[in-house]
Amino acid sequence: MKHIIKIMALLVALSAFWISLLQTSVLPESYTWLLPLYFVVSLGSYGLLMVGVGLMRFPTCPQEAFLLQEDIVEAKGFLKGKGVDVGSD
Amino acid sequence: MEVADRAIGLLLSVISLSIFTYYTFWVIILPFVDSEHFVHKYFLPQEYAILIPVYAGVVLICFLSVFIGYVMLKSKKKKA
Repeated sequence: MKHIIKIMALLVALSAFWISLLQTSVLPESYTWLLPLYFVVSLGSYGLLMVGVGLMRFPTCPQEAFLLQEDIVEAKGFLKGKGVDVGSD
Repeated sequence: MEVADRAIGLLLSVISLSIFTYYTFWVIILPFVDSEHFVHKYFLPQEYAILIPVYAGVVLICFLSVFIGYVMLKSKKKKA
Protein backbone atom coordinates (compact mmCIF):
# COMPACT_ATOMS: atom_id res chain seq x y z
CA MET A 1 0.00 0.00 0.00
CA LYS A 2 2.80 2.43 0.91
CA HIS A 3 4.66 1.80 -2.32
CA ILE A 4 1.78 2.81 -4.57
CA ILE A 5 1.38 6.02 -2.56
CA LYS A 6 5.02 6.83 -3.24
CA ILE A 7 4.55 6.17 -6.95
CA MET A 8 1.40 8.32 -7.13
CA ALA A 9 3.15 11.12 -5.23
CA LEU A 10 5.96 11.01 -7.76
CA LEU A 11 3.47 11.14 -10.63
CA VAL A 12 1.61 14.08 -9.07
CA ALA A 13 4.89 15.95 -8.51
CA LEU A 14 5.94 15.37 -12.13
CA SER A 15 2.60 16.58 -13.50
CA ALA A 16 2.70 19.64 -11.26
CA PHE A 17 6.16 20.43 -12.57
CA TRP A 18 4.95 19.99 -16.13
CA ILE A 19 1.90 22.22 -15.64
CA SER A 20 4.06 24.89 -14.00
CA LEU A 21 6.40 24.70 -17.01
CA LEU A 22 3.36 25.23 -19.24
CA GLN A 23 2.12 28.22 -17.28
CA THR A 24 5.37 30.13 -16.82
CA SER A 25 6.56 29.55 -20.42
CA VAL A 26 10.21 28.94 -19.62
CA LEU A 27 10.44 26.79 -22.78
CA PRO A 28 8.44 27.40 -25.98
CA GLU A 29 4.95 25.94 -25.68
CA SER A 30 5.31 23.34 -28.42
CA TYR A 31 8.27 21.82 -26.56
CA THR A 32 6.42 21.68 -23.26
CA TRP A 33 3.50 19.82 -24.84
CA LEU A 34 5.79 17.16 -26.28
CA LEU A 35 7.96 16.73 -23.17
CA PRO A 36 6.00 13.88 -21.40
CA LEU A 37 5.76 11.87 -24.61
CA TYR A 38 9.47 12.35 -25.17
CA PHE A 39 10.25 11.11 -21.67
CA VAL A 40 8.05 8.02 -22.09
CA VAL A 41 9.75 7.14 -25.38
CA SER A 42 13.22 7.70 -23.94
CA LEU A 43 12.34 5.57 -20.86
CA GLY A 44 11.22 2.74 -23.16
CA SER A 45 14.39 2.94 -25.21
CA TYR A 46 16.50 3.02 -22.02
CA GLY A 47 14.80 -0.17 -20.82
CA LEU A 48 15.46 -1.83 -24.16
CA LEU A 49 19.09 -0.73 -23.98
CA MET A 50 19.50 -2.24 -20.49
CA VAL A 51 17.98 -5.52 -21.71
CA GLY A 52 20.34 -5.61 -24.68
CA VAL A 53 23.41 -4.80 -22.57
CA GLY A 54 22.45 -7.42 -19.98
CA LEU A 55 22.05 -10.01 -22.73
CA MET A 56 25.48 -9.16 -24.10
CA ARG A 57 27.22 -9.38 -20.72
CA PHE A 58 25.49 -12.55 -19.54
CA PRO A 59 28.10 -14.93 -17.98
CA THR A 60 27.77 -18.56 -19.05
CA CYS A 61 30.38 -20.38 -16.84
CA PRO A 62 31.29 -23.28 -19.17
CA GLN A 63 33.38 -25.11 -16.54
CA GLU A 64 30.48 -25.17 -14.07
CA ALA A 65 28.17 -26.41 -16.83
CA PHE A 66 30.53 -29.31 -17.54
CA LEU A 67 30.85 -30.18 -13.82
CA LEU A 68 27.06 -30.03 -13.55
CA GLN A 69 26.67 -32.52 -16.38
CA GLU A 70 29.14 -34.86 -14.66
CA ASP A 71 27.19 -34.52 -11.40
CA ILE A 72 23.98 -35.36 -13.24
CA VAL A 73 25.46 -38.54 -14.72
CA GLU A 74 26.83 -39.60 -11.33
CA ALA A 75 23.49 -38.94 -9.61
CA LYS A 76 21.59 -40.88 -12.25
CA GLY A 77 23.89 -43.87 -11.88
CA PHE A 78 23.61 -43.79 -8.09
CA LEU A 79 19.81 -43.57 -8.11
CA LYS A 80 19.43 -46.26 -10.73
CA GLY A 81 21.60 -48.54 -8.55
CA LYS A 82 19.21 -47.89 -5.66
CA GLY A 83 16.23 -48.80 -7.83
CA VAL A 84 14.73 -45.32 -8.41
CA ASP A 85 13.29 -44.58 -11.83
CA VAL A 86 15.36 -41.67 -13.20
CA GLY A 87 13.32 -41.03 -16.34
CA SER A 88 14.14 -41.24 -20.03
CA ASP A 89 17.56 -40.46 -21.48
CA MET B 1 24.56 -20.37 -28.00
CA GLU B 2 26.21 -17.39 -26.36
CA VAL B 3 27.13 -15.94 -29.74
CA ALA B 4 23.43 -15.88 -30.65
CA ASP B 5 22.65 -14.24 -27.29
CA ARG B 6 25.32 -11.62 -27.82
CA ALA B 7 24.10 -10.93 -31.36
CA ILE B 8 20.51 -10.46 -30.16
CA GLY B 9 21.71 -8.20 -27.32
CA LEU B 10 23.73 -6.12 -29.73
CA LEU B 11 20.78 -5.85 -32.11
CA LEU B 12 18.46 -4.72 -29.29
CA SER B 13 20.94 -2.09 -28.10
CA VAL B 14 21.46 -0.75 -31.62
CA ILE B 15 17.69 -0.56 -32.18
CA SER B 16 17.13 1.27 -28.89
CA LEU B 17 19.95 3.76 -29.51
CA SER B 18 18.78 4.49 -33.04
CA ILE B 19 15.19 5.00 -31.87
CA PHE B 20 16.41 7.35 -29.15
CA THR B 21 18.62 9.48 -31.40
CA TYR B 22 16.04 9.62 -34.20
CA TYR B 23 13.29 10.68 -31.81
CA THR B 24 15.53 13.22 -30.06
CA PHE B 25 16.47 14.73 -33.40
CA TRP B 26 12.86 14.76 -34.54
CA VAL B 27 11.36 16.44 -31.47
CA ILE B 28 14.13 18.66 -30.13
CA ILE B 29 16.58 19.64 -32.85
CA LEU B 30 14.41 19.83 -35.95
CA PRO B 31 12.21 22.79 -34.89
CA PHE B 32 15.38 24.89 -34.68
CA VAL B 33 16.49 24.07 -38.23
CA ASP B 34 15.29 26.27 -41.12
CA SER B 35 12.50 24.69 -43.09
CA GLU B 36 14.59 24.84 -46.28
CA HIS B 37 17.43 22.64 -44.94
CA PHE B 38 17.90 19.30 -46.70
CA VAL B 39 17.83 17.26 -43.48
CA HIS B 40 14.04 17.70 -43.24
CA LYS B 41 13.81 15.19 -46.10
CA TYR B 42 14.87 12.35 -43.79
CA PHE B 43 12.20 13.02 -41.18
CA LEU B 44 8.45 12.63 -41.50
CA PRO B 45 6.21 15.65 -40.76
CA GLN B 46 6.08 16.62 -37.11
CA GLU B 47 2.55 15.32 -36.48
CA TYR B 48 3.85 11.77 -36.91
CA ALA B 49 6.26 12.35 -34.00
CA ILE B 50 3.18 12.36 -31.79
CA LEU B 51 1.01 9.88 -33.67
CA ILE B 52 3.50 7.01 -33.92
CA PRO B 53 4.35 6.63 -30.17
CA VAL B 54 0.70 7.09 -29.16
CA TYR B 55 -0.41 4.54 -31.73
CA ALA B 56 2.29 2.09 -30.62
CA GLY B 57 1.21 2.54 -26.99
CA VAL B 58 -2.43 1.89 -27.83
CA VAL B 59 -1.50 -1.23 -29.81
CA LEU B 60 0.60 -2.46 -26.89
CA ILE B 61 -2.24 -1.96 -24.39
CA CYS B 62 -4.69 -3.73 -26.71
CA PHE B 63 -2.33 -6.65 -27.14
CA LEU B 64 -1.79 -6.92 -23.38
CA SER B 65 -5.52 -6.89 -22.62
CA VAL B 66 -6.26 -9.46 -25.35
CA PHE B 67 -3.50 -11.69 -23.98
CA ILE B 68 -4.75 -11.39 -20.39
CA GLY B 69 -8.34 -12.09 -21.48
CA TYR B 70 -7.24 -15.12 -23.49
CA VAL B 71 -5.28 -16.57 -20.55
CA MET B 72 -8.20 -15.98 -18.18
CA LEU B 73 -10.66 -17.67 -20.56
CA LYS B 74 -8.35 -20.64 -21.01
CA SER B 75 -7.89 -21.14 -17.25
CA LYS B 76 -11.66 -20.88 -16.68
CA LYS B 77 -12.36 -23.45 -19.38
CA LYS B 78 -9.83 -25.85 -17.90
CA LYS B 79 -11.39 -25.59 -14.42
CA ALA B 80 -14.94 -26.21 -15.72
